[in-house]
Amino acid sequence: MKKYLILLVVTVSLSFAACEDMLDLSPTVTIDETIVFQSPKLMEAYLNDLYWGIPSEFSYTYQTAPEWTSRATDEVFNNGRSGYIITTGSLNEDNVNTLSAMKLYIWNSSYQYIRKINIFLNELEKAEFLIENKDRMIAEAKAIKAFIYFNLIIRFGGIPIVDEYWNLHDEITFTSNTLEECVTEIERLIAEAMPDLEEYYSGSSAGYGRICQDVLLALRSRMYLYLASPLFAELHNPTESRTDKWQRAATAAEDFFSATGNRYQLHPDYARAFNNPNGVVNNEFIFVKNYTTTSGHNVPLDNLGRRYGGYGGWWASMGPSQNLVDDYDMQSTGLPPFIWSNDDTKSVNPASGYDPQKPYEDRDPRFYATILYDGGVYRGDLHEMWVSEDATQWGSDSPLQNGDNPLGLYILRKFAPDVDQEDLLWGQSTITYCHYRLGEIYLNYAEAMFELGYEDVCREYMNKIRARAEMPDIPETVTGEELRARLYNERRIELAFEMHRYFDVRRWKIAHIIENRDIYGAQIIKNMTTGVKTYSNVLRQVRKGSWDDRYYLLPIHRDEIKRNKGSLLQTVTWR
Amino acid sequence: MKKKRDLFLPRFYYSKKLIMELKIAIFIILTSITSSFGAHAYSQLARVSLEMENKPLENVINEIEKQSEFYFIFNQTQIDVSKKVTISKDNELIDGVLQDLFKDSNVKYAIMDRKILLNTENKDGDYTIKVADIAIQQKRVTGTVSGSDGSPLPGVTVLVVGTNTGTITDADGFYSLDVQNNQSVLQFSFIGFGTKNVTVGSQNVINISLEETMLQMEEVVVIGYGTQRKETLTGSVSNVTGAEIATPNMNVASSMTGKMPGLVVSQRTGEPGNEDLTILVRGNSSFASSSANNPLIIIDGVERDNMNRLNPDDIESISVLKDATAAIYGARAANGVIIVTTKIGSVGKPKFTFISNTSFSSVTQRPNLLGSPEYARVQNEAVWYRANRPENWTTPTFTEDAIKQMEDGSNPDVYPNTDWYSEIKQPFAVQNRASLQVTGGNEGVKYLLSLGWQDQGSEFKSMNLNYNQFNLRSNVNVNLTQHISVGANISAIVSERKGPWENIGTIFTNTWADPTLVARFSTGELGPGRYQESPLLLPDRGWLKVSNLPINSTFTSTIMIPWVKGLKIDASFNYDIRNQFQKRWVIPYFFYERNPVTGELERKQGTGGEGKGAVEELTDTYNKWTTMMFNVLLSYNTIINEVHNITAMVGTEKQKNNNNMIEAWRMKFLSTLLPELNVGSEDPVNRDNAGSSEHSARDNYMGRFNYAYQKKYLAEFIFRYDGSSNFPIGKQFGFFPAASFGWRISEESFFRDALPFVDNLKFRYSVGQTGNDRIAPYQYLQLYDYAGSYVFNSSVNDGIRASTMPNPNVTWEKSLKNDIGIEASLWNSLLGFEITLFKEHRTNILTARRMSIPNTLGFTALPPENIGEAEVRGYEIALTHRNRVFNDFNYSLSANVSYSNSKIIFMDETPESVPWREQTGRPIGAQLVYKTDGTMYQRDPDGGSNTIDPTQGAYHRSHRPGDLRIVNLTAEWGGATDNTINSDDMYRFNYTSTPRAVFGLNANCEYKGFDLSIFFQGQTGAYNYDGTFVSLGASSRQNSYVARATDRWTVDNTTGKMPRSDAYQPGMTDFFMMDATFIRLKTAEFGYSIPEDIISRYGLSDIRLYFSGYNLLTWAKEIKHADPEMTGGSGNYPPQRVLNLGINVKF
Repeated sequence: MKKYLILLVVTVSLSFAACEDMLDLSPTVTIDETIVFQSPKLMEAYLNDLYWGIPSEFSYTYQTAPEWTSRATDEVFNNGRSGYIITTGSLNEDNVNTLSAMKLYIWNSSYQYIRKINIFLNELEKAEFLIENKDRMIAEAKAIKAFIYFNLIIRFGGIPIVDEYWNLHDEITFTSNTLEECVTEIERLIAEAMPDLEEYYSGSSAGYGRICQDVLLALRSRMYLYLASPLFAELHNPTESRTDKWQRAATAAEDFFSATGNRYQLHPDYARAFNNPNGVVNNEFIFVKNYTTTSGHNVPLDNLGRRYGGYGGWWASMGPSQNLVDDYDMQSTGLPPFIWSNDDTKSVNPASGYDPQKPYEDRDPRFYATILYDGGVYRGDLHEMWVSEDATQWGSDSPLQNGDNPLGLYILRKFAPDVDQEDLLWGQSTITYCHYRLGEIYLNYAEAMFELGYEDVCREYMNKIRARAEMPDIPETVTGEELRARLYNERRIELAFEMHRYFDVRRWKIAHIIENRDIYGAQIIKNMTTGVKTYSNVLRQVRKGSWDDRYYLLPIHRDEIKRNKGSLLQTVTWR
Repeated sequence: MKKKRDLFLPRFYYSKKLIMELKIAIFIILTSITSSFGAHAYSQLARVSLEMENKPLENVINEIEKQSEFYFIFNQTQIDVSKKVTISKDNELIDGVLQDLFKDSNVKYAIMDRKILLNTENKDGDYTIKVADIAIQQKRVTGTVSGSDGSPLPGVTVLVVGTNTGTITDADGFYSLDVQNNQSVLQFSFIGFGTKNVTVGSQNVINISLEETMLQMEEVVVIGYGTQRKETLTGSVSNVTGAEIATPNMNVASSMTGKMPGLVVSQRTGEPGNEDLTILVRGNSSFASSSANNPLIIIDGVERDNMNRLNPDDIESISVLKDATAAIYGARAANGVIIVTTKIGSVGKPKFTFISNTSFSSVTQRPNLLGSPEYARVQNEAVWYRANRPENWTTPTFTEDAIKQMEDGSNPDVYPNTDWYSEIKQPFAVQNRASLQVTGGNEGVKYLLSLGWQDQGSEFKSMNLNYNQFNLRSNVNVNLTQHISVGANISAIVSERKGPWENIGTIFTNTWADPTLVARFSTGELGPGRYQESPLLLPDRGWLKVSNLPINSTFTSTIMIPWVKGLKIDASFNYDIRNQFQKRWVIPYFFYERNPVTGELERKQGTGGEGKGAVEELTDTYNKWTTMMFNVLLSYNTIINEVHNITAMVGTEKQKNNNNMIEAWRMKFLSTLLPELNVGSEDPVNRDNAGSSEHSARDNYMGRFNYAYQKKYLAEFIFRYDGSSNFPIGKQFGFFPAASFGWRISEESFFRDALPFVDNLKFRYSVGQTGNDRIAPYQYLQLYDYAGSYVFNSSVNDGIRASTMPNPNVTWEKSLKNDIGIEASLWNSLLGFEITLFKEHRTNILTARRMSIPNTLGFTALPPENIGEAEVRGYEIALTHRNRVFNDFNYSLSANVSYSNSKIIFMDETPESVPWREQTGRPIGAQLVYKTDGTMYQRDPDGGSNTIDPTQGAYHRSHRPGDLRIVNLTAEWGGATDNTINSDDMYRFNYTSTPRAVFGLNANCEYKGFDLSIFFQGQTGAYNYDGTFVSLGASSRQNSYVARATDRWTVDNTTGKMPRSDAYQPGMTDFFMMDATFIRLKTAEFGYSIPEDIISRYGLSDIRLYFSGYNLLTWAKEIKHADPEMTGGSGNYPPQRVLNLGINVKF
């Protein structure tokens, strides 16, 4: 009995005395904020994450479905996927947030990164211990912020500039700054960042992919081009002369050329420029997002058809449109195959040499590099999209074989690797995404010089682009509006699927024409006895009437307006 | 050309052979145990050692009795026990010993079982021992003790009057006792019942029914940290005994459905080993998160998460604390507490219970999806609509000729009509369950040992899904001294689930694939299916194996302090450990595709799903969770002046939880037959690992004080002081008090005189505060995750990313509960009822202020803050009636209804421009929907087929003819003049998928060994929105319900009742909010107990054969296309209908 009682006393006293601070535990697998800004290594890691604030078409990580801004343009036939609200004309303040995955409605993610940057800048500036590369890190963060603001203003116009950061219980509402103030802020950030950045990173340096001075020069080229363009010229300093604006755009490009010298060159082969895996140096690229086999993406497979297990751009909704295909010039004549009249009717351009029954012959080589079509060969596989007259037989890549083959009969080939580039189509792809490249700067310059009246310089730079693609020069006889049309088309072709088309048609203020055109696909009927194919264009989506001039900018979500209790005004076109 | 499919991997069919082997093994264990206690085995094997010189025979007999289980039976007038004998034996068989002992005397002996009979030569010179005579002298009496309602009474003391021989009835009221002779008198006594004496006479079976002196009054209910008699209970507690939920279900929670008022159990899926039942006590009260309303589940005193996987035969009782008296569990109690207590043995001989059943299960309702022809028409319509209905449309996706071939099936390899669901389904799945339990004990030791086994397959054959589980339990209690007892309750669940690695939801989504895809070519080869993820290919794609081994241990000790009467100390030490090992094996697979030109089948490698199936990938994950808990309770009970009954308890409890995870991954294996990590590629890029850990602690103090005056006026006070590591340092502790009162008016003499037929009438009231601390830890700190790594050049650079914003003030949700009830029993329990009204006021609800904080602030994930406020009101009614008619026809009926409705008082809402959008004032979880009037927009005759007749009122820009017409609420309710539909035209729907009212109706009857029980369950006040029902003609090519496609709007059927294919809705509409009211015959069981006089010959005491069914019939008010209890649409494993055959054997 006694021994049991002793046992009891011991256990009871143990239980009360056991552990004074048993509740004071600390987290195990996460990092407490107090140490983040004590450790230069962790600050580096913090900075690395900030780079995700810059949107790209590839930005989605492995195994997430791609959502390309191309889906909201005439580059593709969008068969009911996101972006459909734009192409069907039902975008509004309630559903605009569904465009976040396709990097159009980037409001929330952008301001999250801006807050992160503000914290980072504040903490770094007040840190009193030695941080290696401190100035460079601050400069990179500021540059990323400049990119984020730029991406916001080209979507929404004037937006709130946020320099501070707040905590949970602070009651703050926001007001949009004017577009002028936003541009000034971007210019300030660029100017502050510039001196502390590396001049550039070569393709073999460990920092390749970081922001350097060259990248900011490229950003300025694009920004001043946008600001001089009709849409933004009306919104930003509307009283300033257009010539001055275009001059600023031209100067920005020239600054880039003079600062970089021969550092950047057009890649000799357009077809091979966009599907290189990590490790292949491409001197045309100014600012890239790289991937590795453990931190890769699945863009090639997701854009390809069912033959490779792809989904044709996720539910076959990234198939290039006939509209885009028709805009590739003929290689022999260098002329566009179609002529537009009254902005909405097109007819074959007899001088071009285009034969509607041989639509894939003698086209701009960039067509073959960008689009997989009936008769095209990829990785040694002949692609066939035809259907027999009685519809009992069809090509293996026809949507009749599988609903994941694009209905329009075109598959996106750009960014898909050749056999010698990447061995597997599935698994993690390391093909590099390019934010800024020399080709774009050439076209930015060509456009600015065109608007300034230097049509010869415009043609010269267009021809540099065309020469790389093995296309004939734009002859000197092409001038004025004709040259403008050719210039716009050159940009459409050269920069297809590089996140430009959505913004270009808006800044040029031609979206009410372009985005109001019906979307076509191809139809190829094969006579099984003669083997003769008959080609025709098929209406895939009626878009007439779907455009609304409010669409020139995106609205801010209705809830965000409400949350700011009246202080934040809706985007100017949506008021 | 016919090619043979490659089969790469061993298939894990749970073979019929193994099932047989297991059943045989259990029978062998069973029979060996039986035989060891059998009649002859002992006498043949027992050995004794004797060393006696010139001792009286009596001493020798005593010594043999001491050494063995034998006892001697003889007539002292015949046998002279004082006679001196000498004997020397060393470990010899009893037979030889006795032979020697009596070799020189006239004593004859006979060994019967453990009895040794001694006799002498009788007067007739007949030396034969009359076995029959002796057998009469010592005989076994068995029987069942029941209450007057026929229900078995466990725990009844059965005594042979004038002796110390006695036993106690088991859970089924069964007893078995040896008596000396026919003149023996048995006394049956049980607290609350009248004592009965019965002379044995010639009977072998004596069934007795005891009359209640006061019905149910001594029923004991488990509450937190103790028990209480039901009569003096002042809290609102529902409880069931293990027997009441002993249905052949594989899942304990599903047996609880509808049995306890106030408990809402909904079966949302039926996946073997993973049946996800949502359990709510009195509905939803919090809107913090989807799991924020989960009740606390306590198993044998510790928060444990494997209730569903317990062996139902091990459960003694389940109690549900519904009101403020749950405050004894403090910060975890706001959602109610479910307390499960497992069985302990009772004093008596070893009693064996063997249960075996086999059941057949299949879906309650299979989805009726479109066949190819109609599907093709729907898709053609959708594509034409998406092209904005051009007038000249020459390119339908499916030609008329193709549709014709789908209809007549003339070309199945090109134009198939695939029913994916049928392709993967077999008629039923087989489930087996067996359990063997032994209980018993004496004054010193009580024990329960049990072994259970179950095996569940899937009717979806290509999933190769199998769940296998062993339950082991050993519960032993030892009285060390008169004052000290110790116990150990150790249980383990060994389970293994094998199945596809593919998410079950994805597999079901893939059964919604396009029916125009080939599942299996006419030559037998498998086609690719949707996304090359045909569910038929699953067996070729690898597997996922999850082994779980939770071991729960509870060591208890109780010390009655000898020098203070009524004072005792209970202490327990609990250590739970759960190991989980998971192996995920993804391998390349192949299928066949028809070349549309040559017609040949071509073999292709699949690229569907994760890792695209390119190479072998193996992921091993090991998880370990541990919980260590230690508690000490000091309790005191005294009665002063025979009227003041006082009970008091104080205690403390400390708990530590730990979790460790480690994971390793490799790809590119030498062979698909070797799923072991070390066989994978050594290349660093082909391998990876991960790990994590977590810990938390609790430090709690609690107490309870009860006072009863003459069992008439009752009062209880509870407190709990809870500390949790989840909260900021300095703010870790919270205080939770509760009080409850009762008045048993039926004990008042004036009442008794006026209404003598009322056995019991009690009023009770409780009020108190409880907490809800279901939040992630460390929310008061700004933490950074290792995420956001970014590639520069060719190396991955680590990133860190701020996770949820910190909330330095985070604390508990608080729940103020009020509960008033009346309990009554009338006419000797012919009728009983219990009515409870309750109100709960939940404050400090943890919800993120995502609605009012501008995103422009740039906060990452917002933390929950204690800002929400909600109210729940409801009632519960339970009725019982039991009776016996025609002498031996016993029946009972019980019905219960629970109603609860929640209302949000405050939550952080975006300032709404119109009042009908507001969440405040509406039920928790209520969604925003557009109002429809059930008609469709029609085309504008002047504006073409694609535009809406503008005279039809407001519409959204995307609306097209054939879409549901939306009511313009801003105009209708707000008087605005706008003519467009936008989100201000949405209103907050007043119902959710959580039912407001649930009810159960239970009927049992028994007649001469036959028994029948029927149980109906139902719900109302719930609405389901099934996205898979809404979708028709989607570009994703998902199939649709026939009910959705029938009578849809088309240009030729403009009066259709359903919207068009590819219909546009600006958001959810109330048109598809479907009333989920249903009544279902949840269980029906018919059993027959073989009369005891037949089975007792075989040493058995009870055999019951039964046939039962689960989810047998369903009547649904509106949802006819799917099981109305399921809310997850097509992505869930459907609930099962189960038919079951079983046998229970006791001996």
